[in-house]
Amino acid sequence: MKTKLIGAALACAGLLTACGGSDSGAADGPVTVTVMTWESTQTNAVIKKALAEFKEPNITVELLDTPSGQYGDKLSSLTQAKKLPDLFWCGNDTEQQYTQQGLLVDWSPKLSGEFGADKFVASAIKNWTTADGQLGGLPSLMNTYGVWYNADAFTAAGVPIPKSGWTWDEMYAAAQKLTGKGGAKYGLVADQLTGPDGPFTMSMYAVSAGGAPFTDDVNHPTKAEADAKYTEGVQKLVDAVKNGSVAPPGYDASNAQSLFAAGKVPMMFGGQWLAAGFQVDKPKVKYGFAPFPQVTTPATLYDSVGICTPQYTKNQDATFKVLEYINTKVWDAVLPESPVAPPAYTPAQAKYFGALAEQPTVVDTVKADLAMEKTVGVRFTTQWAQQVGDLTTADYQPILAGKKPVTDLPAYIEKINGLIKSGG
Amino acid sequence: MNRWRLPFQRENGGRSRNTLSRGAGSDTLAAYLFIAPAIIGFTVFVGYPLIRSFYLALTKYNGLTDPVFVGLGNFRRLFTTDPAFWPALRATGYLVVLYVPLSLILGLALAMFCNQRFRGVRIVRTLSYLPVVLPAVATITLWKFILNPQVGLLNTILERLGLPTSLWLQSPTMAMPSVVLMMLWGVGGTMIIFLAALQAVPTELYEAAKVDGAGPWSAFLRITIPTISPIILLQVILQTTAALQTFNQPKILTNGGPGFSTNVLMLSIYNNGFPNLGRVPQLGYASAQVWVLFIVIIAVIALAAKFTSLWTYSDNTPD
Repeated sequence: MKTKLIGAALACAGLLTACGGSDSGAADGPVTVTVMTWESTQTNAVIKKALAEFKEPNITVELLDTPSGQYGDKLSSLTQAKKLPDLFWCGNDTEQQYTQQGLLVDWSPKLSGEFGADKFVASAIKNWTTADGQLGGLPSLMNTYGVWYNADAFTAAGVPIPKSGWTWDEMYAAAQKLTGKGGAKYGLVADQLTGPDGPFTMSMYAVSAGGAPFTDDVNHPTKAEADAKYTEGVQKLVDAVKNGSVAPPGYDASNAQSLFAAGKVPMMFGGQWLAAGFQVDKPKVKYGFAPFPQVTTPATLYDSVGICTPQYTKNQDATFKVLEYINTKVWDAVLPESPVAPPAYTPAQAKYFGALAEQPTVVDTVKADLAMEKTVGVRFTTQWAQQVGDLTTADYQPILAGKKPVTDLPAYIEKINGLIKSGG
Repeated sequence: MNRWRLPFQRENGGRSRNTLSRGAGSDTLAAYLFIAPAIIGFTVFVGYPLIRSFYLALTKYNGLTDPVFVGLGNFRRLFTTDPAFWPALRATGYLVVLYVPLSLILGLALAMFCNQRFRGVRIVRTLSYLPVVLPAVATITLWKFILNPQVGLLNTILERLGLPTSLWLQSPTMAMPSVVLMMLWGVGGTMIIFLAALQAVPTELYEAAKVDGAGPWSAFLRITIPTISPIILLQVILQTTAALQTFNQPKILTNGGPGFSTNVLMLSIYNNGFPNLGRVPQLGYASAQVWVLFIVIIAVIALAAKFTSLWTYSDNTPD
């Protein structure tokens, strides 16, 4: 009886060992590299097909079935359980935070030759490098931003179509003329300006006017500031919200894309990824994508996403081979089907731009954004970034909504600086 | 074979004191074994998390690294520097004040209506209760579309009727009433309990009152309300507890906005513990919020029970 019990216990232990964790095999034997993405089922199917073409002795790639929704929750749970897959999609902020906690593999020593750091978009590598020179993942896709516009609405209202070099004043004037026309409640929906990341987006105005950005560095900030140019930009936005031409803070932008496609939103801030949706579900209106307006010199937002590897991955060499394959080959197969974003690995960008031949304004704007000299980060990537979001809701958004005076801006900045100093 | 005995089973008729004692001992053991699953379940799923969450409330813990003990630091931040905490408490209180009385009044009114005898009353009861059994997320999402200020059904109807429209969920002043409006969609749950209570009121009381010349309003105030008062107390406690823990509606409809206007405490806890992708979880801080909510719930329920017991009818007369 006792022997049977011990046998059963050993069998159970064996089963548990087999089921638990992402055991990727012995270091010199067959290896399975697991991959987890936040992509849709359709995009995952294309990625899976492309990964099947990966031919390397002893290395099998397994794309984990994960729901695209609530990816953050899943990532958080897997991190706490120390069960992260070998390669997982991550944002710049996650990469920075996890690397600082010593959770990710530093890939910087591995980058060389045809897969060297110089083959990536320079700003991406710069922003993915931590203060101590580590690269806790590789940027994979770039996010560029601009202004989506309904060309039909602009023509009907007799307003010039937005184009490279247009100004903030022209944008607000256009918004005012478009407000209330053709069922449009607001002339401009700009969640990036009025939402939780609004203070960072406003940096574009200040930088373009020769002023200082909201913060000196979103990854390793030493200060936040609102100089005269920044304050001027905020005042103009406040005026536009007040006259009803720009959607106020609190506007639910979750369905702005569909309203834009239906001709109910004539102009909106947004990322280039919307082009992939418009490629399939064509909007009813003639539309275009223009760079952000400027004051004197062009400036834009910087953002990128990438792929990270947990420190406890057993087969780092095999994992890096798969990572290299994804960056150099997989996008070639995925992006023609779903052109969501330009790859950070520049030799792979041709297929992306080729897929967008039907949307020339998107190609032009994305190329201009990627080449732009003045860029500002979209948000803090620090551990205490959540607290900044709360301060923005409490103090910055009421300024935009006209509930607090613009003169309260320094008090808000002082609180942010307090957070920067205390480290949350 | 029959090792465990029920308490009333005694060998030899239970005459021997020793036998009784041995039997009682094994009965106690059997009883503990029977309730063991419940005790284990409570310990694992309630007791341990409660103790663990209290410990975490005293730490800075992000789920990535080991917790660091900070004493009352999280509570200090909650009450002094966090710009979201007091608005969250205010939003929670506002929701309770709006929702609880309205749900009780509407639930009771609907129950009284459904307690009458007329053709089709069963269909009316079923339709009233139907929203309770529908999937919550689906109905809340539907309401989100209905309340959309630009293309929503509600504003479209109001416009057609020439009535004033509203921004509903996108207005700082109307967002919470809109959330409460949606919550009242499920008032059938309150109605069904009141309906059961109303049907338990002896009809002879109404007949006697009628003979004495009491009108419907007088009968309602002097018979119905006192008789169902224990159920009203139960409903006050149930609805208040539910309102204090509201999560689904603000999460799906507004995610706490505009500003902090619908950022109720449960949502604030969730957003701190499970933030958006790219933000680091503040599990220690969220645990501190959980304890504040826990204490608020206990205090509110105790107060509700204390004050409502003053007017709650109970039959203490000896038989």
